[in-house]
Amino acid sequence: MKKCSLVLVTVDCLRADHCGFLGYPRPITPGLDSLAAQSVVFTDAIVAGAPTYFSFPGIMASRHPLSLGRTVLGIAPQEATIATALRYAGYKCAAFVAGNPYLTARYGYDQGFDEFHDFMDAAVPTGSPSDEASAVSQLNRWVERLSHRSRLTGASYDELYFWYCQWRTSRKETSLDDLRRYPAADVLMQRAIAWVKGLAEERFFLWIHLMDPHHPYYPPQEALSAVGASAVTARRARFLNAFWNRGDIGPTRWHRFRDDIITLYDAGIYWADKQIGRLVDTLRDIGRWDETAIAVTADHGEEFLEHGVRYHSPVHLPEELIRVPLLIRSPATRSSKIGEVFSHVDLAPTLLECVGTAVPETFIGSSRWTEISTGQMSAEPAVIECLDGCNNPFQMKDRLRPRLLAVRDHEHKLVIRFGENGDTMSSIKKQSEDPTTSKGLAEKKRAQFLRKAAAHLRASHNRKAEPELRARARELRYEIASERERS
Amino acid sequence: MAQNRTIQLPEELCARADAWLTGRFENLEALLRFLLQEMMSEDSAKLDQAEEELVEQRLKDLGYL
Repeated sequence: MKKCSLVLVTVDCLRADHCGFLGYPRPITPGLDSLAAQSVVFTDAIVAGAPTYFSFPGIMASRHPLSLGRTVLGIAPQEATIATALRYAGYKCAAFVAGNPYLTARYGYDQGFDEFHDFMDAAVPTGSPSDEASAVSQLNRWVERLSHRSRLTGASYDELYFWYCQWRTSRKETSLDDLRRYPAADVLMQRAIAWVKGLAEERFFLWIHLMDPHHPYYPPQEALSAVGASAVTARRARFLNAFWNRGDIGPTRWHRFRDDIITLYDAGIYWADKQIGRLVDTLRDIGRWDETAIAVTADHGEEFLEHGVRYHSPVHLPEELIRVPLLIRSPATRSSKIGEVFSHVDLAPTLLECVGTAVPETFIGSSRWTEISTGQMSAEPAVIECLDGCNNPFQMKDRLRPRLLAVRDHEHKLVIRFGENGDTMSSIKKQSEDPTTSKGLAEKKRAQFLRKAAAHLRASHNRKAEPELRARARELRYEIASERERS
Repeated sequence: MAQNRTIQLPEELCARADAWLTGRFENLEALLRFLLQEMMSEDSAKLDQAEEELVEQRLKDLGYL
């Protein structure tokens, strides 16, 4: 088999059901739809964990996020990844990551890459207070504490404060580009394309991680126009994001602007799609398309109040979060659709076999490439896990939370909440994911899923200690280096 | 009073660590104590063990174990 180059595009927060080739009616992914027509499309691709920090060990290192211990964040030092495997095989490897703080060298994602660009200097942290605002903030905090002595005055304060902030910020002119927290896809693609064009005849591995659909939602004006929202100004987008982000109200009030928020989100997808199309066109123009395989997927989806929740917190594992788009286009393989469950832990080994490269022994997943090529993929339930409510894994104590684990096949999903000592079986086929009690489903299926969960936990428990120790040592080095810089 | 143990480490390695220490660790002993405590911490392992036992109990309740 002739060895191909490989491109892996991951798009943060991209829901499977917001892709045209998976049935979304709004035309926001024309590029991916066209690519899908030449690809193997997986209609039931499932992440290994959610959100990003729990998903990417599955994508890059073919393992579940907690397999090395729940204190390990990211890729352990010396851990084999798809990049290290391809570099060992002689590939030139480069990564362009749009400013996601969990996908940095600090967490091992640079391993195996000749060039690793995380664009962290281009990313702007949210909520950075200005000097002018700090004195006012102190007064506001004092008033807030007083107001919250009663529920009524607290709610009134929160409402007034929100509108006061909107009035203050509306006085300043701004642009969508200024408001955006991450570099847009065109910025990354420009650099990635320049890198590819600069290569000689070498085989290459290119990983691009795009953040355009990620909140806060500030797509380029061109993207808004393309989705029929040209009237949305930067001011309006800022208001919508601020309202959607309010923690003092609930789903009933958020719902008022749900459609507008989805429009912003869809425009972000449109922009990512357009830039992926640029890359495909470039590969064709420079004559490398026929020797390059390309895979496009997401690390997780996004919620828009389907279960009363926004964004992508690890507080439950709904379909909107765990089912992601996945397509693999290979020059040697004809297009097809795979309906069986495909776990992200199988992605890296599958891609390595697709391009004719050996799979590291440490990978937990298996290559499904031969099955895919013959059109006979076997059905295997997928395991998805995270730490319940772990929204700030930078803090070690947040990682010592109970596990949230799901076992899912094409029809059912068992979710085990270890923190509550409970589990729920639900049907995937039903339109709404209303959980049914375990009594309502075949005991045999539930036992099968529980046995899978038990085997998964046992394997994790019997892990080697060295990767965890190396990862902790690396984190400590970074913490100390940060303290030195600050002092 | 807690008993201490004396160990030997290469001087060159200790000198490099001394140069690298910051305000978080007073001295090399404090750094090593912290690292060993981190390594010996059983918090994560205890959580893993409890979760494995919970699932096994579920299977027993169903009569599969």
